[in-house]
Amino acid sequence: METPASVLLIEDNPGDADLVRLRLVETDPPVKVDCVPRLSDALKSLAAKTPSLVLLDLDLPDSHGAETFRRVLEKAPNVPVVILSGQDDQSLAMKAVHNGVQDYLIKGDITSKHLERAVRYAMERQALLRSLDMTRKQQLEFKNQFLSHVSHELRTPLTSIHQYVSLVLDGLAGPVSGDQSAHLRTALKSVTQLQAMIRDLLEATRAETGKMRIEPRCIAIGEVIAQALTMMKAGAAEKPVGIEASVDPEIPLVYADPDRILEVLVHLIDNGIKFTPPNGTVRVKACMVETDPSAVYLSVSDTGKGIDQAALPRIFERLFQGGDPMNGHQTGLGLGLYLAREIVTLHGGRMWAASEQGAGSTFSFHLPVYSMSRLLAPVVTDKGKLRPSFVLVRADVKPKTTPPLGNWREACEQALEVIRRCVYVDKDLVLPPMASNGFTDTIYVVASTDISRIAIMLERIEQQMKTVQLLERAGTVSLSAEPVEGIITSAAQTLEQQIQTVAERVQENILWTMAGSRQAAEKESDADPRSVN
Amino acid sequence: MPTLEASIENAMANDRTATEESRVPKAQRRHKIMVVDDDAALREALNIRLRAHNYEVVNACDGYSALALAQKEHPGLILLDLGLPACDGMTVLKYLRQFRGLESIPVVVLSARDPQTSEQPTLNAGAVAYFQKPADNDELMGVIRVCLEASGTAGRLPS
Repeated sequence: METPASVLLIEDNPGDADLVRLRLVETDPPVKVDCVPRLSDALKSLAAKTPSLVLLDLDLPDSHGAETFRRVLEKAPNVPVVILSGQDDQSLAMKAVHNGVQDYLIKGDITSKHLERAVRYAMERQALLRSLDMTRKQQLEFKNQFLSHVSHELRTPLTSIHQYVSLVLDGLAGPVSGDQSAHLRTALKSVTQLQAMIRDLLEATRAETGKMRIEPRCIAIGEVIAQALTMMKAGAAEKPVGIEASVDPEIPLVYADPDRILEVLVHLIDNGIKFTPPNGTVRVKACMVETDPSAVYLSVSDTGKGIDQAALPRIFERLFQGGDPMNGHQTGLGLGLYLAREIVTLHGGRMWAASEQGAGSTFSFHLPVYSMSRLLAPVVTDKGKLRPSFVLVRADVKPKTTPPLGNWREACEQALEVIRRCVYVDKDLVLPPMASNGFTDTIYVVASTDISRIAIMLERIEQQMKTVQLLERAGTVSLSAEPVEGIITSAAQTLEQQIQTVAERVQENILWTMAGSRQAAEKESDADPRSVN
Repeated sequence: MPTLEASIENAMANDRTATEESRVPKAQRRHKIMVVDDDAALREALNIRLRAHNYEVVNACDGYSALALAQKEHPGLILLDLGLPACDGMTVLKYLRQFRGLESIPVVVLSARDPQTSEQPTLNAGAVAYFQKPADNDELMGVIRVCLEASGTAGRLPS
């Protein structure tokens, strides 16, 4: 036997409550009615059990108007809600329905039959909505599973093609002539494209279902731009299209996922190269905007033919295909810009495009600044005054082998955890790990202490690091400390300005050492090209 | 019917005696790599490439025979697919870590599965590296070389 329908009546007027009860008692099959006079009681009751329907008066002792139905809907999103109101307020009724309320009835107008019907239909409609919603979710889930299965299955034959083409190309199946080698390289390039498409397909599904992930860290955006330019240099030279970067030296550290931002930049630059005729230029720019100190602005512009004004609003849509780069062919799935924008959105930023027919296009986005001064404030001050001296501690967590073997990511996480345990939370700030070059993780600590006393902290970190097994086996940690010098503050400055000065000096030190280690690494790799064959 | 686990353990116990004999050092030993993949074409391509890099290669096409062969051949490194018949790559990893003499063999996983879901679990299970198919050959060969060098010098690998 079906359990009888139960109605939660939220009504503070005893007379009205009795009236509703009487009307619903006559229904067949009967309906069980529970009545509460206040919203707070109703919310409590809804938390304890789910009724078949809520009958709701809007003006209660502890809540009025739209607020009442909003809170009920929030508490019980799957229960149909019918409003029973004394006022015939059209606009409020409309608002209620738009928010998900099933019906809006006027107390004076209803008869027994009318109320019974309203209650039954509301329950039916809600059930229908729920099953539609379930179907939609199931379909999305099915689509996901299907795509992830398809991409897995596509990779298997693709791997075979990739392996055999490269076998021949690498001369492992006999000598290859110059022409043959060029043809095989073309084939291999197509394999790479196909591979990228499969990856994008899966990423787009992830983005759609909110499963896309980012791992933000502290990054010097100039370093990421330099990396993107290095990657795109060859492709640009082939065409030839020039690529230039201008990075404002005043840019603070950015809180973002370096791999993802590199992906976005590479995609935008690649697009720029595609749409720019030979001898044109693609420019990457990073700067600050006076009106918004919390964000860094990045843009990639080209000197191509520009985007059709009609198409401009649609270019970030999934599967949107713009006209062809140079001669009529379409390339790619039309997911690149969609994914780029999704990645930026996940960072809390925004991406947009501007274009002038014949003059070129500019894609811009912004990323959140790592607000060091806000985080430094509690640790660099004491009783409303700036502490006297600061030290920048640097820990380089370096793998023993390149690439690292085993679970390197986990090893780095554990190293960070060790450092967090070894500092004084009220005096020292551990910055998020820096993405420096390659697999090395660099962790900085701003310590409010004198350089002569830092040895204790370093010793503690060193000893504690030895307890991390993963790290002992796979990597090494080297520690160093430098005083943060040149902090000139005057009594005329506010405490905030003084903290800002410290933050700026710390950032300068970090950016300077990072640029230095990148240059050193580049030199090293130039001198010693890795030979694996 | 015996469980999968039981039959694996049985096979490995039977193999233990044979293993002792095959441990006789060969003259001028080259590194031996075991390729485990159910795709014959891919196995063949990997074989050609690995031999060109002067490695000795042995092959297994399912998880069960991979475990038996590892016991017999004691490869210096295992290149392992995840989706395998008989018992899958994760199970192979698990058993390799439980047997004396096999637990320190570096395992490089080469799978078509999505790294976002599969990389961390395989690394946690003891693999030294994860590559998604199709993998860059230079990178793959580089990792193999690094692994063999590391196990040659330190005798012990990160896991």
